[in-house]
Amino acid sequence: MSLIRLENVSKIYKTGKVDFPALKEISFSIDKGEFLSIAGPSGSGKTTILNIIGCLDKPSDGTLFLNDTDISSKNSNELANIRRYNIGFIFQTFNLIPILTAFENVEFPLILKGNMKQKDRKLLVEEILTEVGLKDFMFRKPSEMSGGQQQRVAIARALIKQPKMILADEPTANLDSKNGKEILQLMLQMNKRTNTTFIFSTHDRMVMDFALRIITLKDGQIHRDDKRR
Amino acid sequence: MFTLLKLAFRNVFRAKRRTIITFSSVSVGLGLLIISICLMNGIDKQSISNIIHSQTSHLKLFKTGYFDKKDEIPLNKTIQNPEQYYAKIKEHPKVKEVESRILFGASLIKRMDELPCLGVACEPESDPKILNIKDSLIAGTWIDSNKPGMVIGADMAKDIDLKVGDNVTIRIITSSKGEDITWNALDMEIVGLFNSGNPAVDSNRIIVPLILAQEALSMGNEVTEIVVCLTNDNEDTLEQAKTWLGTVFNNTDEKIEVYSWKDLASTFLAISKTKTKSSAMLIMIMLFIASIGIINTMLMAVLERTREIGMLMALGMKKWEIMKLFVFEGGLIGVFGSLLGCLLGGLAGWYLEVKGWSISAFGETYEKIAQAAYPVKDIFYGDLSFNILLSTFIFGVVISVIASLYPARKATKLNPIEALKYI
Ligand SMILES: Nc1ncnc2c1ncn2[C@@H]1O[C@H](COP(=O)(O)OP(=O)(O)OP(=O)(O)O)[C@@H](O)[C@H]1O
Ligand SMILES: [Mg+2]
Repeated sequence: MSLIRLENVSKIYKTGKVDFPALKEISFSIDKGEFLSIAGPSGSGKTTILNIIGCLDKPSDGTLFLNDTDISSKNSNELANIRRYNIGFIFQTFNLIPILTAFENVEFPLILKGNMKQKDRKLLVEEILTEVGLKDFMFRKPSEMSGGQQQRVAIARALIKQPKMILADEPTANLDSKNGKEILQLMLQMNKRTNTTFIFSTHDRMVMDFALRIITLKDGQIHRDDKRR
Repeated sequence: MFTLLKLAFRNVFRAKRRTIITFSSVSVGLGLLIISICLMNGIDKQSISNIIHSQTSHLKLFKTGYFDKKDEIPLNKTIQNPEQYYAKIKEHPKVKEVESRILFGASLIKRMDELPCLGVACEPESDPKILNIKDSLIAGTWIDSNKPGMVIGADMAKDIDLKVGDNVTIRIITSSKGEDITWNALDMEIVGLFNSGNPAVDSNRIIVPLILAQEALSMGNEVTEIVVCLTNDNEDTLEQAKTWLGTVFNNTDEKIEVYSWKDLASTFLAISKTKTKSSAMLIMIMLFIASIGIINTMLMAVLERTREIGMLMALGMKKWEIMKLFVFEGGLIGVFGSLLGCLLGGLAGWYLEVKGWSISAFGETYEKIAQAAYPVKDIFYGDLSFNILLSTFIFGVVISVIASLYPARKATKLNPIEALKYI
């Protein structure tokens, strides 16, 4: 049983009178615990595929299975629930809630998930923020932190709810190479410790090299699928 | 729920300047609303009190037919031997005092000046228990049944320059049928001046002892009205006593009708009613101002936070939770704006209730205009009540919540992918 399975997934964007196929009958599957990169030139469909896996977008054709469940018939509330409990997101632009501190940002998904005492939440948040190296930055607002620090908070926010997968669309694009490398190292470390599936897109060679599997897209199709040991 | 509120709370104070502007639009709107309601209620209350306590008292009994002709102040539709009814009237537990009066058309003559006025012949002992004229004397003494003499309104005295001790001639119109006016002249000393606070009374009333008028007008033991004063100004008491007296006088040989001050002050009540209509208009306008401010602020917030909304959706927030977040924000603006508005309005209202609003400060012309519309002089007092504050507060919050519904809905309509792309 694979965690994620795409079967003949196509995505067609309608721009005016012309239909633009961003993904063309793509099929592949991802197992639990993979650390996978989606590569490819600009416009090849990386973001589109991550949006579909992340249940933010629906395929025009074909099927997405999560844990062997076809999700195409789910309504927007059910999809929101899937995201809330099973999927963590890391964004290129960090996207923390600006009025909340690092601590509160990380705590937020736990509150959405519910069913946890504040005391337990506090321990968990402190633990994970320490782990991403932000022990001393817990009570800073995003505007008081560097990009690298903000992205660490975002990783902690994605991880804390113990999702099945974490999706990151170009997580290092707004960081310099040193910080980008550190973020990838942190993601890899978390992947090893928690066995959470990480899927990230990038066109940066150096970042790609962290991945244990690289799916390369070209014109909306899978160009290569390389696994490394 | 609590987290959403916390989030909403912080969001409200995120754009400080805009929030302050929105608060002010809500609070100034509501504050003005409170002030105007407070003032209108106060003027009504003061007017009614003046009408009852210096002009009409609560209930009047007239000979049948008098009421329809009352503007002509007729002297031929009279009640005979009014004292015979006193005991019966006083059987009602809420009746405090009864007196008989004659109203007559008159004019006051001082050398070449002649000033039309309303003559009131009353019982000098009973009248002070019913009306506040004697209490409002500012010079001289009260009338006395054993001595010819009259008290007149201070405004009238000022108009034709009269003072206590002056002797004047009153011309009493005994009947007026079209051009045919018969009259009777009477010389009398002014023994006192009163200032009741009711401009209609102070500017044209002269008051003489009843016995004197009955003699001068050869009216024997006749009067034109019996005035009944009740123990309180309560509307229920009024209606109840009126009905009771109505049934009592249904069985008398003499045909007598009962009227309340409301029947007699119908002009004032009509004005008061149109005022209620215009205050409804005012409320609509305030509602409009406050909600435009909130809708505008919230729409801007939704636009500014588009990407954040997309991110919240990606984190798994549902549409109705996003909706709730923005409605909470609108509601919070409403709560704070209304609190501030109630505070400002409450303070102003309290000032108006205690210190009043001096119309004379606006000059004589304004004072005259105001006096034409309301039986109130010099100072308008507000009437503030906790109910006004509470209902205005609730009104403000409800309007704010309603106004935020549209922007909140707009937020839920966002597509998360598009929203996340938004810069
Ligand atoms: N909303 C849209 N409407 C129309 N066309 C779109 C839309 N979104 C994406 N596309 C097109 O689909 C193709 C794939 O887009 P996508 O964003 O997935 O590329 P990408 O691989 O993420 O590129 P980049 O590396 O530049 O982020 C592009 O050619 C793009 O122009
Ligand atoms: Mg992209």
